[in-house]
Amino acid sequence: MDRTDNIGLLRNLSALVDFSNLINSSLDINFILNNILLTCMGKFHTTRAMVVLFDREGMPYINLTKGFINAPEIPEKLNSNDETLDNFMQNCQFAIRKEINSATGTIGLIFLGKKLSGEGYNKTDIEFLGTIINIGATAIENSLTVEELKRVNRELDSKVNQLSSLFDLSKEFSGLLKIETIGKLLAFSLIGQMTVSEFAIVICSGKKYQILETKFDKNKITAFLNNCDAKKINNVIVGRQFKDELTLLNELGVELIVPMQIKGETKGLIMLGERKNRKKYEQTDIEFISSLGSIAIISIENVLLFETALEKQRMEKDLETARTIQKNLLPKYIPKFDTIEIAAFNESAKIVGGDYYDIIQLDNENLLIAIADVSGKGVPASLLMANLQAFIKTICKMKLPLDRATNLINDLIAENTTMGDYVTFFWSVLNMKSKELTYVNAGHNPPFLIREGKINKLKKGGMIIGFLPTTIPYESETIKLQKGDFLILYTDGITEAMDRNNNEYTDEKFENLVAQLKEESPYDAMRIIKESVDNHTKDAEQSDDLTYIVAKVIK
Amino acid sequence: MADFNVGLRDAGSVSIVELKGYLDAHTAPELENVFNKLIQENKYKVVVNFDQLNYISSAGLGVFMAYVETMRENNGDIKFANLKENVYNIFDLLGFPLLYEFYQDENEAINKFNELSKS
Repeated sequence: MDRTDNIGLLRNLSALVDFSNLINSSLDINFILNNILLTCMGKFHTTRAMVVLFDREGMPYINLTKGFINAPEIPEKLNSNDETLDNFMQNCQFAIRKEINSATGTIGLIFLGKKLSGEGYNKTDIEFLGTIINIGATAIENSLTVEELKRVNRELDSKVNQLSSLFDLSKEFSGLLKIETIGKLLAFSLIGQMTVSEFAIVICSGKKYQILETKFDKNKITAFLNNCDAKKINNVIVGRQFKDELTLLNELGVELIVPMQIKGETKGLIMLGERKNRKKYEQTDIEFISSLGSIAIISIENVLLFETALEKQRMEKDLETARTIQKNLLPKYIPKFDTIEIAAFNESAKIVGGDYYDIIQLDNENLLIAIADVSGKGVPASLLMANLQAFIKTICKMKLPLDRATNLINDLIAENTTMGDYVTFFWSVLNMKSKELTYVNAGHNPPFLIREGKINKLKKGGMIIGFLPTTIPYESETIKLQKGDFLILYTDGITEAMDRNNNEYTDEKFENLVAQLKEESPYDAMRIIKESVDNHTKDAEQSDDLTYIVAKVIK
Repeated sequence: MADFNVGLRDAGSVSIVELKGYLDAHTAPELENVFNKLIQENKYKVVVNFDQLNYISSAGLGVFMAYVETMRENNGDIKFANLKENVYNIFDLLGFPLLYEFYQDENEAINKFNELSKS
């Protein structure tokens, strides 16, 4: 071998070693590509060069050019179509190209222009280029792998960050907070994570909306909510899909709507504006917002349920008080008399009821016995019952004849009720000396006068009270009682008491039962009636208020 | 419960907010109070010193987003300084460096405010 040849070879070798050291010392892809091109240009004395790298699908994605004033556009099919490749080389005036190969195949192409000397590339040149590319390929691959790792790592970091946000909030929301606080924390997390400054958080319960937080124009959001049934928004909607009622939101700058759902039912909406970092809402972002929304809405729902439970507790307490008040409106105890013995029973189906009875000693001789059933049940009925009780107590003191007093009560009650409310009412005055019973029956189930097993029904009177002002006056009747007579006043709670199959106790059954009363005391009679009714209803829920009075003439 | 502390001091016309400990959904309202106070006092130039902050969650980041516009509308800003690497990484992940200025040192951030008000 010639001595000059040896020197040339040595120079080439040392240049290659330098080159290898240099590009393998860096993981920066641009630095590596830059050095490959510069080394080639220096070695082959060419003024233009280019390197193109392809992605996994074979599309060009990174390139670097030297010696061009305007970098040439790279055709998409450069890697797959030979004709495109040849045309491209011609257009750019490249003299030679070589593939960059890695273990997995072709990862790129390198192009070089003509040598400045005008000579062509000889065999040694091409071999040398091959060597440079082989060394370069490894460095390129290493660098790309690191890039990819960095990207994956960043994606992972971002996922971890989102998860820790979710964790952070779910921890915070697990304690019961105010709804406003939940809204605020949700807002902070959203704007922090998504870098948005415009947003709205809305919750819906029934047909009502509550705007928890908004940085959009509140009036416009309200207008939108009035126009559009938020509960029908079941999917995530991105800005460009806004149609119909939603177009209003374009004006506001809303770019994303995410429903907050519980068991597939929309309970609220998150609306977000443009991201300040100019990024789009990616699928992972939307998933994050949905998860965050779910955690928040469940907490909000819990707070609402808790508030409802508290409210209910308060109402129950109020009702308990009302029950005590109502109990006090009924006789606390029944006085004992020489001529007549009386027992009474009252039980409401609800916590308060609409049945009323009273036993009032008017003077030494006269005793008032009354029973009434207000239409309906529960609180409204109990209010009307209290009203009736007050009128009766007052009118008693006026010493009016019973029929005229009934006219008056009817007028008073009619004034105080709304359409459709009424009271069935029976009252009577017993003169304990003469044993004369004067009564008026205003539409109440006729009480029984039972004498020697025969039932006489006390029907005289007039229409139910409270329905219309008195036009036809009420009439009264007077009956003389005898020793051993039973007087039974009751409400339809007895005769209409239902068993589990909705079968009523019936009038017949009741009449048959009481017709057999003989030697029993009123207390015994009361117990017998109760047992018989209980026996019928068994474990069925009490359907109506139940009241009855048993009186027996004992002298 | 993680500890969190906000300190507030003045450096000329610039307010320095010093954060300590863990800034998460639980402690975010404390920081919010400080920003509300600054706005009430018409102090819009804010440097947040993260030197002693160990952790920040997205709810914490949200507080800065919620107030930065008010500050900027009033010729102020919120600038960040002395961030630990792990804390900076969270800001970086969410793209905050595009929206906010970050400084190695609190004084750099203060100087930046002062330069601006001179020119």
